[in-house]
Amino acid sequence: MSTHKKNRHVGIVGIGQTEYSSHKEHQNQAEMVNEAVRNALADAKITLDDIDCVVHGNMELFEMVHQPDMWHSLGSGAHGKDQFRITTGGTTGSSLVCTADSLVASGMYDVVMAIGLEKLQEGHTTGGITNMADPLWFRHLQTGALTATTATLMIEEFGEERAKKAAMKYRILMDKHACLNPRAHRRFGLEYDQMDDLMNTSPRLVGELRLIHMCSQSDGACAVIFASEEKAKKLCKNPVWVRDHITVHREETFNNFGIERPETTHHYAARKLFERNGIKNPVEYFDVFEMYDPSAWWGLDWLRDFLLLKNDEHLKMLERGDFDLDGKIPINPSGGVIASNPIGATALLRPAEAALQIRGDAGPQQIKKEVRHALASGFGGTLWTVLIMLEKYLDW
Amino acid sequence: MAEYFGAAVADIFNTMERRFIPEGTKGVDTVIGYNVSGEGGGYWRVTIKDGTIKVEKLDAAPTGCTVVLNAKAETFVGVTLGKMDAGEALSSGNLKVDGDITVLITVLPKAFNKFTPIVKARTIVESMKERFRLDKAEGVTMKLGYDLAGEGGGKWTIAVKDKTCTLKEGLDSDCSVVLKMTAQTFVDLNTGKLDGATAFTSGQVKIDGDIGAAGNSAKLFAKFDTGEEKAKGEELISLKCLPTINQRYATGPVMGKWFAGLKEKKFYATRCPSCGRVQTPPREICADCRVRSEEFVEVGPNATVTIVDLVYYASPDPLTGKIRETPYAAVFMVMDGAGKDQSVSHFLNPKDFSRIKPGLKVRPVWAKERTGNYEDLLCFEIDD
Repeated sequence: MSTHKKNRHVGIVGIGQTEYSSHKEHQNQAEMVNEAVRNALADAKITLDDIDCVVHGNMELFEMVHQPDMWHSLGSGAHGKDQFRITTGGTTGSSLVCTADSLVASGMYDVVMAIGLEKLQEGHTTGGITNMADPLWFRHLQTGALTATTATLMIEEFGEERAKKAAMKYRILMDKHACLNPRAHRRFGLEYDQMDDLMNTSPRLVGELRLIHMCSQSDGACAVIFASEEKAKKLCKNPVWVRDHITVHREETFNNFGIERPETTHHYAARKLFERNGIKNPVEYFDVFEMYDPSAWWGLDWLRDFLLLKNDEHLKMLERGDFDLDGKIPINPSGGVIASNPIGATALLRPAEAALQIRGDAGPQQIKKEVRHALASGFGGTLWTVLIMLEKYLDW
Repeated sequence: MAEYFGAAVADIFNTMERRFIPEGTKGVDTVIGYNVSGEGGGYWRVTIKDGTIKVEKLDAAPTGCTVVLNAKAETFVGVTLGKMDAGEALSSGNLKVDGDITVLITVLPKAFNKFTPIVKARTIVESMKERFRLDKAEGVTMKLGYDLAGEGGGKWTIAVKDKTCTLKEGLDSDCSVVLKMTAQTFVDLNTGKLDGATAFTSGQVKIDGDIGAAGNSAKLFAKFDTGEEKAKGEELISLKCLPTINQRYATGPVMGKWFAGLKEKKFYATRCPSCGRVQTPPREICADCRVRSEEFVEVGPNATVTIVDLVYYASPDPLTGKIRETPYAAVFMVMDGAGKDQSVSHFLNPKDFSRIKPGLKVRPVWAKERTGNYEDLLCFEIDD
């Protein structure tokens, strides 16, 4: 694989979000987009005149609007500008980052605004995800994004008691973070002493995947403005730099459950990305990781892949508190995907929240010590991975 | 009776028979138990059977139910009224469901008209202080008595003096005027269901004392807000549509061979000419080697189970759009003779739910009529 070569550096200069909730009857899709766009422009202290190009992303399968970018131009301000539409499933938001970064790095545009959104309330999430499965085989079996395969494998590997406790501890930790984030959708106020109760009484969805483990279905939008180094330095005191990103696909949709399991796309992405950037120990290097964690089981299991950990190291780190807000490598200070999941915006929120951490503007969920190096991931319905590295300084 | 969001738990059950939609429950046979804790709570059992309903208040926790709902009174009322999110209540554990959760999604929405809280005379009287209009009260001194008979009735005195309004229980002896009517008439008058002049002329309202004061009192108070006007005013309308799209996907010759094989009760895989990997279902190329896989080999029909997913969530079947019956099991398995990194998946025979585990051998169960489709395979079952 070739190394990404950028013609010029690209910085994030503006970030705007809506609040995330299960209902947004008070605004239509274009109005919701507009709320995020206005917030991003205000954050960057620029106007729509400064935007050269808009990259729009959501999953049309959910709301069943075939050309949403046209309708949404009422709110996005794309009228009269170049616009591209990205729709890659769960990874849509991170694909927006890769696209905007490439468009600016190439020299085609100086300032690009990426907008990710979803109004899941307006469609049927599980129905939409089911239709992402290979139509020739497996679609008949698909149950949206719900599967207990990871839970089953973790229970097999670590024993029922430890695995179930760890998944629930991860879930409660995410809720504790979400409770700090005023924009997060689900904020339950869970406590660690509820662990045993929730483990056994939360309704089962599939096997040991219970309702409490699973992400929400949210409405919301996020807009992020990218600028070339020269522009970014002019516009912004503290741009956050996009260092590198990697996108990994497999040939199959759901063919990962044989007797011999292939390397996961998460592990492959992390291994390749860190290798080409000379990062030997990701746990030491990164100050925060905003991970696309659709369920507590997945989130915890995937930390092993992304951080290149072995055996039960990820469980030990969780048990020690290494993933807490004041831990060695805080995971999802925003509360993550379990708390808020407006799908087309979700994977854009990860680098957006990571960038806010680097800037020191994350609000109540701000990590206390300096955040210089951030990692953000995206995950797609058919086991795809996007991994993004952000930096505070142009010093790599 | 304890109220939450303006309604008591018992109100919801007491109106169930009236709100029941017989046409919505044809062929349904289910018993729903309710365990509502906290003030105003209790035990109820609702039996819905083929267009009929029976609601019972019980003294002990309900038994013999298809599903039992456990919730605090506030959560139960909040979710019923749509003031609290059901998904959130379920996720947080404030609402717990024992048994077949699909009943709640499939049966209940079709079985009942929406519950709207009953406006009570007391609520209206108690809101009079808030509805008192200072701008109309200059120089007004009066005592207005209400004598409301029947269920939900009572006696109240509203005193207006020096631009203040006070409310107390009972009738003062020096009221300027006392209005007598049933509590229901009072509610209907205040919610716009009954016209004042009609009520008076038809004798539904009796006025004892100064008729002029009774007339003047109306303008001293703003209209009672039922909440319905507000919803109308904001015009937050949601448009609904249900698209049905018939889809047909070309299989191409390679997956065509797989489906054609199913007709003959055979499984065909492809073998990579470069690495030898045998892929199931067959694939046009080996993506690892980037070469065409043109050689077909027969695999199976038996397979080894690798993972089992027991599904409780009632999801739509992509082939029919109907909600699937739960629980059902999906198994991932490696077919005999296929690559060890390859898996196929299908339903498991429900009789094997309790015995299935990874490593067991399974065999296909074929449909009698086979047309080259998913449904040629009914399921897999343990190969004893």
